[in-house]
Amino acid sequence: MDSTKRYERLRERLGNGGLDRRQFFTLVGAAGLAYGVQMPFASRVKAQDVSEVRFDGWGGVVSEAFRDKAFDPYTDKTGVTVVDGTFGSGDEYLARVQASQEGEYNIAHLSGVFDYARYYNLGYASNLNRANIPNLDLVIPKLVDVYSAVSGDELSCVPFDYGTTGIAYNRKYISDEEAKEKGAKLLIDEAYKGKIGGWSDWRTRMWYAALQTDQDPNGATDVDAMWDAVRAHRDLVLKYWTSGAELMSLLAEEEIYVTEGWSGRIYALQEQGHDIGYIDPPNGFGWQECMFVIKGSPMAECEELLNFMLAPETSIAVAEAQNYPPALDPSKVDLGSKIPTLPAFDPSGTLSGLTFADPNYWNGNEADWSKTFGRVQKGY
Amino acid sequence: MRKPTGFTWITLWTIFVYLFMFLPIGVVVLLSFNASQFGSFPMTGFSLQWFGELATNDAIIRAFQTSALLGILTAIISTTIGVLASLAMVRYDFPGKTTISTLLIAPILVPEVVLAVALLLFLQLMNVPKSFPLLLMGHVIFTLPFVVLVVQARLIGVRRDYEEAAMSLGASPIQTFFRVTLPLIMPAVMAGALFAFTISFDDITGTLFWKPGGVETVPTQIFAMLRNSISPEINALGTVMIVLTVGLPLLGLAVMRQVSARQGAQAGAPA
Amino acid sequence: MASIEQAERRAPWILLSPALTAVGLLLLVPLVFVLVYSFWLRSAVGGIDATFSFNNWAEVLGDRFYRDILLQTIKIALITTVVCALAGYPAAYFIARVKGVNRGFLLLLLMLPFWVSYIIRTMSWINILGVSGAVNSLLQAMGIVTDPIQMLYNETTVVLGLVHYLLPFMILNIYVSLDGIDTTLEDAAHSLGATRWQAFTEVTLPLSMPGLGAGALLCFVLGAGTYITPIILGGPRDAMFANLVFDAIITQLDWPLGAALSLALLVVLGTVVVVYNRFAGLGQLAKGLG
Repeated sequence: MDSTKRYERLRERLGNGGLDRRQFFTLVGAAGLAYGVQMPFASRVKAQDVSEVRFDGWGGVVSEAFRDKAFDPYTDKTGVTVVDGTFGSGDEYLARVQASQEGEYNIAHLSGVFDYARYYNLGYASNLNRANIPNLDLVIPKLVDVYSAVSGDELSCVPFDYGTTGIAYNRKYISDEEAKEKGAKLLIDEAYKGKIGGWSDWRTRMWYAALQTDQDPNGATDVDAMWDAVRAHRDLVLKYWTSGAELMSLLAEEEIYVTEGWSGRIYALQEQGHDIGYIDPPNGFGWQECMFVIKGSPMAECEELLNFMLAPETSIAVAEAQNYPPALDPSKVDLGSKIPTLPAFDPSGTLSGLTFADPNYWNGNEADWSKTFGRVQKGY
Repeated sequence: MRKPTGFTWITLWTIFVYLFMFLPIGVVVLLSFNASQFGSFPMTGFSLQWFGELATNDAIIRAFQTSALLGILTAIISTTIGVLASLAMVRYDFPGKTTISTLLIAPILVPEVVLAVALLLFLQLMNVPKSFPLLLMGHVIFTLPFVVLVVQARLIGVRRDYEEAAMSLGASPIQTFFRVTLPLIMPAVMAGALFAFTISFDDITGTLFWKPGGVETVPTQIFAMLRNSISPEINALGTVMIVLTVGLPLLGLAVMRQVSARQGAQAGAPA
Repeated sequence: MASIEQAERRAPWILLSPALTAVGLLLLVPLVFVLVYSFWLRSAVGGIDATFSFNNWAEVLGDRFYRDILLQTIKIALITTVVCALAGYPAAYFIARVKGVNRGFLLLLLMLPFWVSYIIRTMSWINILGVSGAVNSLLQAMGIVTDPIQMLYNETTVVLGLVHYLLPFMILNIYVSLDGIDTTLEDAAHSLGATRWQAFTEVTLPLSMPGLGAGALLCFVLGAGTYITPIILGGPRDAMFANLVFDAIITQLDWPLGAALSLALLVVLGTVVVVYNRFAGLGQLAKGLG
C-alpha cells in the first residue's frame, strides 16, 4: 500500500512539475539506460515544429489510396510529411493511445460512434476549427449530428465513411425469401447449427440480440433475454470471426452458411462471383467511421490534412478500395459509377434508412456488457 | 544394409513431419499464383500479377526491409548476450543461480500484450519516446530465452576437459572460448540465432505496441490488412522468401558440384 | 591465488550483466508497473482509477471461470508438448544421424514456415482441413466419404495449430543435443550386446535429455501463452488464458484486471520453470553428465 502511494505521489509530482526529470531519473535508477537508448532518436516524436503529422488507419488498399490521393498532394502543398501507421483493431489502437505521450498520435481512422464517445470520455477530444475544413460542407449532415449528442458544438473528428453490419447468407443453402422472413432470427435458427458464424464483438452481438428479442437496439430493457439470445447463438455457431479476411474466407469456403457481416466485405465477395446474399434487417446495424484528431495534435496542420482527405477525389478512391460509401452527400458531389452500387449507399444523402448506435446508451453499458460477453462467449 | 530397419521408419516419419510443416505454406505458395484477389480454392487461374504488384508496392517492400533488419539485429544481439549468459550459467557456480535461470526465461512467461503495455507505461512515465532501438531491445528481450535455452542445453554436453586442456596449454580464457568452446557449441549458436531471427521476423503483438511512427514490419502490415482482406502480394512475398531460402543454398550446392566436377574433369584431361 | 578466485567469482556476473540489464530494465521494471496496476481499478470510462483495492485479485483467485480456463490452458499446452516431443524426437534423430544430406539445410527447411506470417499460415488451414479443403476433396474423390467432414474449429485443431508452430523449436532443441553425442557410444553399447533399442534408451536418450527438456519447456510455456491460435482455429469455447488477458486489456480496457490475470499466469508458468530448473534443469543434468 505504501509503495503504491509513493509511486502515485511520484507520478503526480512528475506531472505537476514538482520534480524535474533529472531528479526523477536518479530516483528510478534504471531509467538512465532507457534514456541512453533513445537519445539519438529523441527528436522524432517530441518535435513540435510540426514537420510531420501522424496518421493511423487500416493498411493495404486503404492506406495506398490515402497515400496517393491525400498525403502526397498534402505534403507537396504544405511541406508537412504524413507518417502513416496502421493498426489491427480500434481497441488495440486505443490501448496504444492510452500508453502514449501527448502529441505522439494525431489523426486516426476510428469508429464514428463508439470510439468517438470513448475518446471523448477519456479526455482525448480536440476542438476542430470547421472554417479550416471547407470540404466538411460536402458531408452528409446526419453523420455530423451524431457527434453533437456526445460533444455538443465542439467537434473532434470528421465523418469519413459508413456501412452496415447486416446478414450475409449463402444462397445455395438459404433463399432470399427465407432470409427476409427470418431476419435477425436466422442467426439463431437451430436448422443451421454448426453452419452459423458471428463477429466476436460484444456490441454487434448485443445489437443482434436486441433484434432477435424484438427490442429496440438503442433502448432494450430486457437485458436477460438478450443474453439468452447471445448464448443461444453461441451454442449454434461454428466459430466467431475476428476480421474481415476471416469473415470472407469462412463464407467463401462454405464453412458457414450464415453470419452477420460487414457490407463492404460481402460486396467484395459478390464481386468475386460468390453467391452470397446480404440483407439489412429492420433496425439493422448502421455505423460510420470518422477521422479523429487526438488532443495535443497540431490542429491547423491536422485540419488541412482532413480537408485533403475529405476531398471528393480522395474519398471516392478510398471508398472504391474498401467498398464502404464515403460520408460525402451524393446530392452535392458526383460519386462516380461504382459507389452507388455499394450496399448501404443512400442516394438521397439523408441516411434515413439507417439506424446508428446511440453512443450514450451503448457506452453506458460498455463496462458491464463487454466483460459479460467475454464470459458468455467462452461458454459461461 | 548397414543401417537398421528402424532408421527406415524414422526416415519415413521425418518425411511425414516435413510434409506436415509444409502444408500451410504450400497453400500460400499456390495462392500466390492465383488469378483472383481473394485467396480461396479452387484457383481461378494462373497468374504472376501479384509478384508484379509486389515488386512495385513500396509499403510492403519497406516493411520487409524493416523486418529483415530488425530480425538480423535481434539475432546478433540476442545470440551474443544469450551465449554469454549461458556460459555463466553452465560454467560457473554462484549464489542465486536458480533465480537467475528463471529470470532469463521469464520474458516468454509474461503474455506479450502485458509486457508490451507495461513497457509503454514505463516509457510514458519516463517521457521516453518510441524508437527503433527500443523496438529492437523489445525483440531482444523475448528472443533471449530461446537462445539461452538451446545454448545451455548444448553447452552442458561439452566437456570441460577440452577447455581445461586448452587453458593448460597456455590459451587465455578468451582464446579458449573462440578456439575451443565456440566451435563446439556452434550448432546451438546457429539454432539460437535462427530462432531469434524467425521469432523477431514473425512477431506481431509486441511490435504493434512498440513500433515508432513510420516503422511497419510485415506482420503489422498484414494485421492492418485483416479488416478488409490480405492482399495476395503477401503470399507472393512468402513465395519469394521461400524460393530464396531454399533456392539459394540448393543453387550453391549445385554450382559447387559443377565446379568440382569440372575441376575433376580438367585434372583428368590430357594436358 | 585470491585474485584468481575473485576473478572466478566475478566472471559469471560479468558474463550475465548484458542479459540481466536487458531483462531488468525491459522486463522487471515494467513488471513492477504491472504489479502496481493489479491493485488499481478500471474507471467508469475505461481509464485507470488509482485507488488501492484487492478486487482484481479477489476476482482472479476466487472466480471459477478463471480457474477453469487456466486448467484448460495447461491441458492444451501439455498435450501440445507431448505431441511435439513424440513427433519431433524421431525427426531430430534423423537429422542428427543422416548421412549425405546437408544438415544445416534440413534445419533451415524446418524454419521455412516462419517465413510466412503466423496469422497467414494459421489461417491457411482452412484450405487444407476445411469442408471444401484439400483433405475433404481428396476423401470425396476417393469415395471414402460422401459429405465433407467438419474438422476445423475445435480443441483438436487448436492443438494442431500449436504443434505446427512449436514443432520446429522442439526438433531444433533435441537436434542440438543429439548432435553433441558421440555416435560411437551407441555403437559401443550395441557391440557389447545391447539391442539397438536398448543402446538408444540406455545411452542416447539420457544424453539428449537436456535438449528434450529445453524443447519441452519452450513448447509448454509458449503453448500456454498463446492467444492467436485459439482465435483463428478454435470454436467458441476454446479460449485460453492469454485470451482472457488480451480481452481484459484490449477489449475491456481493464488494465488492472489484465495485470492481475497476467501475474497469475506468470506465477503458474514461473513455477513450472522453477520446477524444471530444480529437477530437470541445468544443475541436475550437469551432475548426471559428470
